[in-house]
Amino acid sequence: MAEQTTVTEPAQIPRFTAKGVWRGCVEIAPIAVFIIPFGIAFGVAASAKGIAPEVSILMSIAIYAGASQFALLDLWYAPLPLATLALTVLAVNARHILLGAALAPWLLQIPIKGRLAALIGLSDGSFAYAMSARERGEIDAGILFGSGIAMWLIWIASTAVGALAGSFLGDLTRFGFDAVMVTYFAAVVVGQWKGAKDLYPWLAAAAVAVIGTYVLPPGWHIIAGALAGGIVGTWRHG
Amino acid sequence: MVDTVAAVAAVLLLTLITMATRVGGVWIMSYVKITPRIEAFLKYMAVSVLIAIVVPTTLAAAPRIWMAVAAAAVVAAVTRSALSAMLVGAAVAAVVKNLGM
Repeated sequence: MAEQTTVTEPAQIPRFTAKGVWRGCVEIAPIAVFIIPFGIAFGVAASAKGIAPEVSILMSIAIYAGASQFALLDLWYAPLPLATLALTVLAVNARHILLGAALAPWLLQIPIKGRLAALIGLSDGSFAYAMSARERGEIDAGILFGSGIAMWLIWIASTAVGALAGSFLGDLTRFGFDAVMVTYFAAVVVGQWKGAKDLYPWLAAAAVAVIGTYVLPPGWHIIAGALAGGIVGTWRHG
Repeated sequence: MVDTVAAVAAVLLLTLITMATRVGGVWIMSYVKITPRIEAFLKYMAVSVLIAIVVPTTLAAAPRIWMAVAAAAVVAAVTRSALSAMLVGAAVAAVVKNLGM
């Protein structure tokens, strides 16, 4: 029996295998279905903004980060404000850096190709799933790639449904789709509330953002508000 | 109307930025340690981005959107489900619209 323990020893080294990829695909499925309404909502909201279905579908294929895709809709007008778009997407997606940092102790033990594959489809959902799997003893980073792929395909398909249906539905405000983005973000914000310590950073973000809409070029109030919240939060709790 | 070439170019730029954030955390961690200070900054900045979008957008919108956001906030606080909150918020916005408000 002692030999058997020795034999299974290599299994404890973090790795990246096809079996892990498949396991990730299957295990994420119950979580992934919850992104369908968001994908449809994004496609519809993009249509409502006059964005062609092929462009919104391309956004979902290439960017594949829901919150930032919703955020860029407000900045999608001609001529495209590239710097503002870039900074907004960077600001909204900067949380990925934290997710990656949290995964680093695991992924840094995996060869570079597997590491990049595990990260390429990183999302809040696949991160949450992978971290809970890791706690259960999972060592195969293939599950990150697999869960990323599964959610990616569902995200693309649901965006396509929304984008194509959106062009036939006419005035979407009667279905409340114009409220989808702002209510979803408001809900996520409320879910992040950890108590009174968050009050000042949050107020700083809100106040600077509101003032910024009057005194800054379009879109920059988001960056200003994000930095203000980050700075006040660091100053008070860092 | 945004022309297609500009749109595709912009999407590719935004894709590169998003990819950089995905691989950036592990890359940075292979060189430096994320201090509690940096972690606090990233954490507060992440939620602040959403606040900076939600608050001005809501204030500038019609009263039916205020009601939708309020409903979503209450549902989120009670259920902790962003999805249910979004569905309720959108439903409120739809109902109020159809009542002609």
